[in-house]
Amino acid sequence: MTETGPVVLVVEDEPQMRRFLRASLGAEGYRVVEAWTVADGLRMATTERPELVLLDLGLPDGDGLDLVRRVREWSPVPVIVLSARGREEDKVAALDAGADDYLPKPFGTKELLARMRVALRHARSGAGSGDPVLEVGPLRMDHDRHEASVGGREVRLTPIEWKLLALLAQNAGKVLTHSQILREVWGPNASSQTHYVRVYMAELRKKLEADPARPRLLLTEPGVGYRLADGG
Amino acid sequence: MRAVPAPTAKAGRRAPPLAYLSAAALVAITTALAAAARELFAIPDAEMLYVLAVLIAAVFLGRGPAVTSAALGVLAYDYFFVPPSFTLDVHDARYLLTFAMMFGIGLLVSSLAERASAEAVRAEREQLRSTLLASVSHDLRTPLAAITGAASTLRDQAVDAPTRRELLDTVCDEAERMDRLVGNLLDMTRLASGEVTPKREWVPVDELVGAALARVERALVQHVVRTAVPEYPALVSVDPVLVEQLIVNLLDNAARHTPAGTEVEVSAEASGGALTVEVSDSGPGVPEPLREEIFERFQRGSASTGRGAGLGLAIARAIAEVHGGTLTLAERPGGGARFRLELPRVGDSPLVPHEPGEPGAEEAR
Repeated sequence: MTETGPVVLVVEDEPQMRRFLRASLGAEGYRVVEAWTVADGLRMATTERPELVLLDLGLPDGDGLDLVRRVREWSPVPVIVLSARGREEDKVAALDAGADDYLPKPFGTKELLARMRVALRHARSGAGSGDPVLEVGPLRMDHDRHEASVGGREVRLTPIEWKLLALLAQNAGKVLTHSQILREVWGPNASSQTHYVRVYMAELRKKLEADPARPRLLLTEPGVGYRLADGG
Repeated sequence: MRAVPAPTAKAGRRAPPLAYLSAAALVAITTALAAAARELFAIPDAEMLYVLAVLIAAVFLGRGPAVTSAALGVLAYDYFFVPPSFTLDVHDARYLLTFAMMFGIGLLVSSLAERASAEAVRAEREQLRSTLLASVSHDLRTPLAAITGAASTLRDQAVDAPTRRELLDTVCDEAERMDRLVGNLLDMTRLASGEVTPKREWVPVDELVGAALARVERALVQHVVRTAVPEYPALVSVDPVLVEQLIVNLLDNAARHTPAGTEVEVSAEASGGALTVEVSDSGPGVPEPLREEIFERFQRGSASTGRGAGLGLAIARAIAEVHGGTLTLAERPGGGARFRLELPRVGDSPLVPHEPGEPGAEEAR
């Protein structure tokens, strides 16, 4: 086990879950620090300077969502919510509160590690960095020349389609909720018009996907939002 | 495991307008009978006929209609049979007692009947609950038994690498199966409670089908999947999470009950906001007499591989019903099963604003 791996703060009150996370993350070279209350979690988010937070929602002294909101006031550290509350509205609430991802319990280690890698990569590259060329899997977007292509095939996009696709590409692998997308692409006044997003996504799929009914790139998270498949 | 139908009778509910109409008809018939009888021979107690009508109303129609029939009965009896006839005047106090009797009998018998039927419904619910519990504990224990067995073997015995791998696969697969079952039970409980109102949003049909296909990708990996969905952004007003779940359950059902290598087809159509989705397979199909039965809880097809608790189709139908639609099973021409979902149109399709410089780009149909 290395002493230099990324520090991961696990905030979880179930000892069985902590044991499982400690073992499987430790084996991957992560250094795990543990808290089991909102208060301890907040304190350790400052003192331990974690690179990633894994957060359970039902904690003995409060709701994990409060911890996300408090942490977001001063830190962009990626937070992945791990929760037995698997309903879509719970996921949306967590993502809208500022969580980076949401993994419903039970989950497999492979899935968790993949989500952690995505979250860490986003945090390290800095969201929306100034790189004029964005490449995700087969998708390539050149902002300077305003050109987009999939697998080398050029696609023509309308201005809104461009904005939508660029947003998803900047957050590749990450779920964006309908309201996050609406706010970013259409502005704060459109936040309840989820069908805008759906119709434009349908258009994008027609332009980008080989079979729009079986998308490989622009993935739907039912009841939550959309995610651009991460090339890796 | 036997199928568990939902309880049909409900206690204490308000009688439908038809019941009141029937009560009035009952009194009218009684009056006609009494009048006809009087023509033939002198009847001393026409009121007994009305009491009979009130009793019938009380037992079969409920309290409100019983009281209605008592009131109408009193009026009719008074008007036609109490001297002076063809007036509502009453000269003899004895008749007031008769009237009171008719009301009293109506109230008493109807409340007795109501109590009895409430008791019957309660017993039915109790029966349903214990059958559910028996099914659930059986279905939860089966994967749990496999997990316990595999895990304890791994802990207590020396096993070679391939066996170890196999046992670990068992643990993961069975845990996943338990998770699915718990999810299904929660869904079913929620839907059966009657408290689910669909959270409707305007959704393109291809998105519903696409999201469902993505979720059953693994289950259908050995099948040939064909899709036929509208090209244009056809919007329908449905609860996207529920309808996607419905389509997933149909596809999952097809994957489970048809041989590998066979074809599964999903077709969807939206016209004027109404949605039709068909999921067809080329498996063995379902014989006519069983086509309704398979939608019942804990009902598994005879050709079933034994996986799953038989909740998927019951959930699918419940989802169709909360949308005011139907889910039926027919035979696919050429063999196989064809599930057909029909959801009615709700409201007018919204417009999506045009983009500047893109005339008529994205108008929803």
